[in-house]
Amino acid sequence: MKRIKIFSLVIVLLTLNACEDQLDIKNPNQPTPESARTERGIVAFAQGGVYVNGFWSLKYTDGVPGRFWTGAIGYHELMGDVIGIEAANWFMNQVAMPDQVIHDDGEIVLNPASPANQKDLINQVNVNSNQGNNPLFHEWAAMYGMNNACNVTLSLVDDVEFLGNADVKKNTIKAWCYFWKGFAYSRIGSMYVAGIINDEPLTSNGNYVTKEQIIAEAEVNFAKAETLLNGLSAGGEFDDILGALIPSICQVGKGMVLTPAMWIRNINTLRARNILVNTHAADMTPAQWTQILNLTNNGVGANDYTFTLRSNANGDIMSSTTGNIPAKTFGTTAQGGTYKVSERLIQDFKLGDQRLANNFAQGTAWLGNADRGNSFNTRWALRNGGDGLDGVVVMCDRSDGAYELYCVGFYEENELMKAEALINGAGSVDAGLTIIDGIRTLQGAGLAAVSGTGLTQTEAREELRRERRVVLAFRGFAFYDARRWGVLAGGRTGAVVIKKNGVISTNATINYNFFEYWSVPDNELAYNPPAAGSAAVVSEN
Amino acid sequence: MVMVDGVQMAGTSLNSLDLNSVERVEVVQGAAAASIFGAQGANGVIQIFTKKGKEGKLNIDFSSSVASNQFLNVGNLRKANLHGFATNANNEVIGGSGNPLVQDPATLVYSENVIFNNIDPTTNINKPYDRNLQYHDHIKEFFTSAQTTNYSLSISGGSKNGDFSLSASNNKQESNFRGDGYNDRTNFTSNVGINLAKGLKLRSITQLVYTKNTVDLYNKQDFGLNNLVFGIFNARPFVDYNLLDTKGNHAYYYGDASGVNQTNPNYTLQYQDSDDRKVDIVQSFNLNYAFPKYVDVDLKYGINHQNRSVEYIAYNQSDNDNSNDQAAFVSWYAGDNLGEMTNFTFKNTFQNFLANTTAKFDFKEDFKMSLPIKSVTQIAFDYRKDVRGEYFTSGVGIPLDPPLTANQATTYSIRRDFSTEFVTYGYLISQRFEYGDIAGLSAGFRSDYSSAFGEGSKPFTFPRGDAFFRVSGLNFWDGSSIGNVILDWKFRAAYGEAGIQPQPYDRFPTLSTRTLGSTGSLYFGPGQSNPALDVEVSKEIEIGTDMTFQGLGGNWLTNITFSPTYWKRSTDNAIFRIDAAPSTGIGTILDNAFSLSSTGLQAALTASVYSGSNITWNTAINWSQQSSQIDEVKGGAEVVVVSSAGSSNYVLKAGDKIGQLYGFKLLRSLDAISPLTGQPYIAPADRPLYEVASNGYVVNIASKQPFFTPERSSFGNPYPKFNMSFINDFTYKNFLTFGIQVDWVQGSHLYNQTKEWMYRDGIHSDYTRPITINGETGAWSAFYRGVYAQRQANGTKDYFYEDASFVRLRNVAIGIDFAKLFDIKMSRLQLVLTGRNLWTKTDYTGMDPEISSGTTNSAWDRGTDHNTLPNFKTYQATLNIGF
Repeated sequence: MKRIKIFSLVIVLLTLNACEDQLDIKNPNQPTPESARTERGIVAFAQGGVYVNGFWSLKYTDGVPGRFWTGAIGYHELMGDVIGIEAANWFMNQVAMPDQVIHDDGEIVLNPASPANQKDLINQVNVNSNQGNNPLFHEWAAMYGMNNACNVTLSLVDDVEFLGNADVKKNTIKAWCYFWKGFAYSRIGSMYVAGIINDEPLTSNGNYVTKEQIIAEAEVNFAKAETLLNGLSAGGEFDDILGALIPSICQVGKGMVLTPAMWIRNINTLRARNILVNTHAADMTPAQWTQILNLTNNGVGANDYTFTLRSNANGDIMSSTTGNIPAKTFGTTAQGGTYKVSERLIQDFKLGDQRLANNFAQGTAWLGNADRGNSFNTRWALRNGGDGLDGVVVMCDRSDGAYELYCVGFYEENELMKAEALINGAGSVDAGLTIIDGIRTLQGAGLAAVSGTGLTQTEAREELRRERRVVLAFRGFAFYDARRWGVLAGGRTGAVVIKKNGVISTNATINYNFFEYWSVPDNELAYNPPAAGSAAVVSEN
Repeated sequence: MVMVDGVQMAGTSLNSLDLNSVERVEVVQGAAAASIFGAQGANGVIQIFTKKGKEGKLNIDFSSSVASNQFLNVGNLRKANLHGFATNANNEVIGGSGNPLVQDPATLVYSENVIFNNIDPTTNINKPYDRNLQYHDHIKEFFTSAQTTNYSLSISGGSKNGDFSLSASNNKQESNFRGDGYNDRTNFTSNVGINLAKGLKLRSITQLVYTKNTVDLYNKQDFGLNNLVFGIFNARPFVDYNLLDTKGNHAYYYGDASGVNQTNPNYTLQYQDSDDRKVDIVQSFNLNYAFPKYVDVDLKYGINHQNRSVEYIAYNQSDNDNSNDQAAFVSWYAGDNLGEMTNFTFKNTFQNFLANTTAKFDFKEDFKMSLPIKSVTQIAFDYRKDVRGEYFTSGVGIPLDPPLTANQATTYSIRRDFSTEFVTYGYLISQRFEYGDIAGLSAGFRSDYSSAFGEGSKPFTFPRGDAFFRVSGLNFWDGSSIGNVILDWKFRAAYGEAGIQPQPYDRFPTLSTRTLGSTGSLYFGPGQSNPALDVEVSKEIEIGTDMTFQGLGGNWLTNITFSPTYWKRSTDNAIFRIDAAPSTGIGTILDNAFSLSSTGLQAALTASVYSGSNITWNTAINWSQQSSQIDEVKGGAEVVVVSSAGSSNYVLKAGDKIGQLYGFKLLRSLDAISPLTGQPYIAPADRPLYEVASNGYVVNIASKQPFFTPERSSFGNPYPKFNMSFINDFTYKNFLTFGIQVDWVQGSHLYNQTKEWMYRDGIHSDYTRPITINGETGAWSAFYRGVYAQRQANGTKDYFYEDASFVRLRNVAIGIDFAKLFDIKMSRLQLVLTGRNLWTKTDYTGMDPEISSGTTNSAWDRGTDHNTLPNFKTYQATLNIGF
């Protein structure tokens, strides 16, 4: 009996030893973090950190709002009343429902949702368990995802062995990281009441600081990037690395490899934007206008390249049919796509503007469900590829690679900021109007020049307002503008609104009453509670 | 875990097996009994034993059956047959232009949206669909009855040299979705045993399965294809899905008028096909040697291989006017309507080797001792290896006209190339002693290694043990007064622990890759693995007793047995994906996040109610109850569980029942007090603004909207009070059999999310139900829409939390054996008529109170009816012929 037992035990032990090396199974499907420690690896990682972590990959996604440039940025365009939405995904329709609409006949239509106020809604749904349905989650998570990837890249880059001129290559990658960190902080500080300054890879801290401190941190990073760029020159290894960081599909049109000087001008445009969009227009000081004028004079020029996104057939970075807001707004009728064209965008086109004729078609009014309020009913459809008017800008093109999405600042934006500084600041109103005329010519608007016509400053401001609404439509500026022009808090008069029965008011008043800055999303607070001395993380207005 | 003849089957679905070749099925629940099977058995084991040939004459059996299946709709789920849209004087439904809605004949898109002022307190859902829009019963149109056919032939026999059983069968099941495909499965099974020498036996068991599935639509949830059921349920009832455009094509989306969440299944059927083919091989060898005395050695090796290939095609839809107009199309990967051909290939190979040595000693006989002690020693080794691969290729942009081959696609790409490998092995040592038939005790442990922890890692070792004591085996029992009533009485207990290992690569941090144009990028994927992940430990204790009672004597009530069992299971270090703060750049991370426990009580009562010379009647009554709760959340981090009940997820809290829902509650009295504030929900000064409507709910008189509590509170215990089944079998002489099973579930609840969605746009038939508010009677849309939208649109509301108790006639079968009846020289010529789920008594208002699926593949989101397909009502006729 004993012998048999021992015999069996020996068999068991022998088989155990024979098996042991079989336990060594590595994941064959994905690279390990070690892969980022080579020259090719660190470049691929620095690229993925921006285009994938920043703009594409999040733990919570929903195909209806889509990814960063249609979802997170979609909120900007919805709250800025460039588009409307019927779908309730991520509470998008409710987030964009104004408190009240006063029609021409005096009828007052209140926000029919529950809660009947955007601020109450946001306060109610900003809870961790709402996961991706929390509207506040998306921009925050995307930008901190980008920030973290840049932190990891910066922590690794000095230990990577590069062929050739290692300093140029390292500094190009570092400039890339600081630039995008600056971009990420700019977006956080322009949207949320508070943020976190975090330079550590894969960890965080509970020291929440004010949005002003976040914008200051953006500048810290821009300055680091600028310093590095000043030490770099175009061509050679700089071009090799930047050319590898920018995805090949984006390197067309304005998306070609920048020179260090162009890149610095891009930084200046973003610096000007940070001042402009984070100050109420009424509170702008002459010094701030001068600052914007100086920055934009050294901002993105007509022939400068910038950072763009392009679609391809596989939708690697952006799908041609769903990857940008115009593509999601397109429709053969006013029913549109996920997004609907706002009547308030259309009314901001000047009479005879060829950009309206080329890009929008008027039809029977589309009336959404009455329980969605009626601010988003519309007669207008966004055309795909324009109506063929020669030399007129096309706002939506759903064919592969056609639409150029500007990730950062761009020429028209820079010019309009310059014009605004000239009109409002120490410059001259007419010099500002000349710039507006230039943009209109560039875009084939076919409008008579407004410069030299003796417009008052107030009239010039209105020209500028309308031009920003038109030129920057679908590009993520509408919420910023509505905030700084006091529209979110003070509402808008003279609005075109279609009632639930199809009757059109042309002089309606819309009181939006939206949050101007968002609270920190609870998904952050639940896992990273504010440390003592933190700035307020909940928005008051 | 599923085991076939003692060998794990991990690569083939249980549904693929031929039931005709199965002799019996045993279910082992929990770690107490199943831990001997290793970590994979911690959550229970289903053991299947296939038929073996018997020594003696040759048996040939043929069986054929045909069944008709129909989806249940016991709650009469249907759409409103009246509407409240804006109409003109002629009762035609009009749009904003004032004109009646018409469909464009080329695109089939409605000219404009309907005007539905669903929150207007005067909107009454009372207009018939009798002008430009007509009513269609979509549920009736698409859910049709379908046939299942089954053929099976088996031959078995045996001699002193061995035994064999061979069978071939075919099962074909049509889809219950109109116009969709079918599932066709063919099985060959063989079970051959050869007696190689005295005591040495070799057995080979083979199952070959070929499955072809052409079902396009709803059966592809395992792939993630859209659940079109949701689309059908949420279409406005005037939509005519059978319309064809001027070119004879179906349209995908008729415009927002038709309901924003609908799409036309007929379009999908027209433009999409899939052909899913699977070959399964389940092969095992068993070599058993019984030494003349004491020792028995048993070696088993099983290999289970599955090769599955799905050919999916979305045809080029660029000549469909609706597709072009609405920018809507079907596809898998393609971002446009130019079509695609995609091939999904799955391969997996699973191997299981088991070596088992058992030594048995009888102290009385073997060692001539006076004590009636028996000893059983078991030493076993168990090795498992699982290799899985997935490879998807896709050609996007294909021609309009045949031939359609992937090489004509504009872009061809490999979409997925993914493989996993997992190895685990371990050994089991167990020692058992029995003292006569009075008492027994066994103890042992099982130790397992896992590749999830890599080379050089330590094994995880867990103990197990069980014991019994038969009080009726004691000397005094026989002839005592209690011994005359209780013939046999045994107490039993078992305890076991098992470690559930992390999935193959859960502990290895990786980067993700994404191709951006021509180069590949690296990034941190949103879901991170965790190198510190530990095994999930499951412990179970089970205590029970088995009693056999003295019958009444004579033919009535004999063989009465009663077996109640109590069990308690706990799981510590449950592996769950939890969130990280976004500012860390990490999305979610796998963690040993919490612990939970379950307790249950179950009892079975069986009896021969009557056993006469001509008639026998056997009955079995099973009763059970159970409950699971969270015991601890580790580290205090919020663990969010995705729930489909009212689209609000919940956070796990220690002490909460698993599946417990929190939500807004409707007020039923004006003076209700909030337990949270101690104050009335409606301030006394505001009470004149409200009243209790005729349906019992508090409403605002002016808006007609219901009043929900502002806070969310628990809806109560989600577990049923009990589950019961009553099983009765009757035979008359030797030719007539009759069986009936009735199931009863009491106190269960379902969250009717299907209904909540249909409340969104006035689609559910409840909208036509009149209520009286402030003296006005009407089908007030504002009330029903308010139920959906008040406090939170699509929020979790007690209104949709329904009692889903039911009594169901699960099974009724009658069989007549003509061979016996007419004394024909055959072993069997039997006709069996069976009905399943023929009758249900319930208050639940959805299609089936037994529906229970919320979020796909979630163990937590149970008890939610979220556009889930119901069970079938089935009528079946079977003919069994035996020679």
